[in-house]
Amino acid sequence: MRTAHGPRLFVLAALLAAAPSAARAEDLADLSLEELANLEVTSVSRRAERLADAPASLFVITGEDIRRSGATSLPEALRLAPNLQVARIDARQYAISARGFNNAVGNKLLVLIDGRTIYTPLFSGVFWDAQDTLLEDIERIEVISGPGATQWGANAVNGVINVITRRATGTVGTVAEAGFGNLERGVAARQGFALEGGGAVRVYGKFFEGQHGVRANGAAVPDEWHNGQAGFRGDWGAAASQFTLQGDAYRGSDQQGTTGADAHFSGANVLARWNRQLAATERLQLQAYIDNTTRDVPGSFGERLDTLDLDLQHGFQALPGHALTWGGGHRRSYDHVTNSATLAFLPASKTLKWTNAFLQDEITLQERLRLTLGAKMESNPYTGWEFLPSLRLAWKPEPSELVWGALSRAVRAPSRLDRELFAPGQPPFFLAGGPDFRSEIAKVFELGYRAQPSARLSYSVTGFYAIYDHLRTVEPAGAGTFVLGNKMEGKTRGLESWGTYQVSRAWRLSAGALFLTEDLRVKPGSGDITGIAAAGNDPKHQFTLRSSLDLTSEQQLDLMARRVGELPNPRVPAYTAVDARFAWRLRRDFEASATLQNMFDRRHAEFGAAASRLEIERGLFLRLKWSP
Amino acid sequence: MVSVTRRLLLLALLLPALSAIAQSAGREAEVKIKAAFLYKFGDFVEWPPSALERSGGRFTIGVLGADDIAAELERVVAERTIKGRPVSVRRIRRGDSLANLHMLFVGRSESLRLGEIMSATDGQPVLTVTETENALASGSMINFIAVDDKVRFDVALAPAGRGQLKISARLLAVARKVVAA
Repeated sequence: MRTAHGPRLFVLAALLAAAPSAARAEDLADLSLEELANLEVTSVSRRAERLADAPASLFVITGEDIRRSGATSLPEALRLAPNLQVARIDARQYAISARGFNNAVGNKLLVLIDGRTIYTPLFSGVFWDAQDTLLEDIERIEVISGPGATQWGANAVNGVINVITRRATGTVGTVAEAGFGNLERGVAARQGFALEGGGAVRVYGKFFEGQHGVRANGAAVPDEWHNGQAGFRGDWGAAASQFTLQGDAYRGSDQQGTTGADAHFSGANVLARWNRQLAATERLQLQAYIDNTTRDVPGSFGERLDTLDLDLQHGFQALPGHALTWGGGHRRSYDHVTNSATLAFLPASKTLKWTNAFLQDEITLQERLRLTLGAKMESNPYTGWEFLPSLRLAWKPEPSELVWGALSRAVRAPSRLDRELFAPGQPPFFLAGGPDFRSEIAKVFELGYRAQPSARLSYSVTGFYAIYDHLRTVEPAGAGTFVLGNKMEGKTRGLESWGTYQVSRAWRLSAGALFLTEDLRVKPGSGDITGIAAAGNDPKHQFTLRSSLDLTSEQQLDLMARRVGELPNPRVPAYTAVDARFAWRLRRDFEASATLQNMFDRRHAEFGAAASRLEIERGLFLRLKWSP
Repeated sequence: MVSVTRRLLLLALLLPALSAIAQSAGREAEVKIKAAFLYKFGDFVEWPPSALERSGGRFTIGVLGADDIAAELERVVAERTIKGRPVSVRRIRRGDSLANLHMLFVGRSESLRLGEIMSATDGQPVLTVTETENALASGSMINFIAVDDKVRFDVALAPAGRGQLKISARLLAVARKVVAA
């Protein structure tokens, strides 16, 4: 009896390995030439399987999607993800979130570019104006809505955005582009070189500037901006041992309305990563980066942040049916804030340290049933060690179907803002920090279904229910002063869904829908003065529809419509925006394209209070791209 | 209960088998991508109308020295058309006639005879595709190469021009390298 297991197992393993690639056989011929040219031989079945099998609400924006959208910035490209809320605040600032809590200082999303964390420990959010890369060289953006804390650590409470650029070996050659329109203009160029003896390096540079914004009454607001960025990436080695070295430097400025001097920001970073495939089922990754960023907002604050981050991951097959991944990391930041008369971070200078260790076991319970158990321990400068466990179950009733469920506990550790923000800049203080501010906690239940009933159609539906506790409030501390506390709690529930239908080889339709219900309340005994509006301002629903059509082999027409429901407080009316892009490859090496944003409305608001907010205008952008 | 030693033994036996499967999956993927490319090339190349009328209105692709790609291509084109015509895949053996083809793929195993095969089709409206290093120098029009675990290709314009074939700008844009010679 027992001896019969050997061959039977072997046959099973062979079937498992063959099944996914057989299922994809018909699909490959439906891909575009460009997509075919970008498929990786070693991972064509494995990666496709990995994405389709991930037990999470994961949406992938491909590089091709970004180029076809005509987006000129990362936040605009993120509008392609149906599981994100993207609201433009003004010419340069965005509020971006998943599953609610959207805010100009949103703090429950983790964002990485090529493995480098870009949120600031100042408020656990992202200064979107300083985050850029050459969009042409983005391979894909993975957007996970829902907690990813076990893999990614504290701050990955409501989602993770992972921007992945192409390897330098895939970007040999020249690309140069110039664009201009009524709202912005810019130039960008990249040169990639193959190196003698294998490997490749690319360098890029870009410069963009934007026009001033307008208010609802059409009055201009001086908030012109410009940003220049340059960088490089080098990749060496093959699958067995890959080495990456990359870096960027940027500098920009924003006009500060009519209030005075311009705000400036600048920064630079260098990252090295080493991937080793030790055996068929064993891999090791080591990564280190340093990052400097500075920002000077005259009249409110200035900041200089230096970060060093080290990370190790090791995955291997521990026993049959157990794929183990473990790792750890350490990050330290030196943060120096220049305080102003308006506000102060006290102490002004602080060294922040985070350390983490995690372990995850992916257990194959049965041929079609996988259980993933994971936990991360992470220490932060304020509350010490936090425990971030998760349990995920994936069941594949058919090769083209996946049912998954997950239970997770996620934590948003305090940021400097939660503990050390004082206002005004000198005593007597009105706001006196948050001496007792603790971590915000989320417990999240998710259930999802993903299917590809035919080569043409695929879709995903996810339902979630999340219980939040210890959310931020502003509490009276006597004598007319206030401190930050944690006396808000609540629940959110909702549905995320999207699908793609390949109508013909030349025409693809995609759609997405989001539904969200938030039920937050300030706890009894709280004297909170800001109310639940401070937690976020979110639409109850959001719909997107996208059409990608190849008119001829040289002409492309893309349309994208989005409908965003009303924001309750402060009220922002619901809006529908339609964007279109037409691209024409006039010669082998030369493409001209025109993007029209907000085709049917002169301008609309997306975020903020009526009195002070800016509106997003209709924009036409013409772009010429040369790639010999 | 299966003992721990027995499990480890089983693991030791399974691991090499698994890595062999992983490797063959690599070649399998390469075959699928190349077959998909061959089918796609049909959309991005213009043949002289007279050439398309041959072979009884069927679009005919010859495959020489690569039975795995031929088999995959047969599956891919089974319910598809090229230039609005049904597609035939003809497995060609050494010495077979190369007449009445629209496209010819020559596998790696025939690399030593490449010059000879290419001169036989030179000047004919036959799109020649190869997968051998430096094959463009032998007169091939499109040559697959592996770049960074991806299947890419180079294009030579001169032999295509001699065969009155027009290669579209989109195809050239995807090529890693386009050479005039």
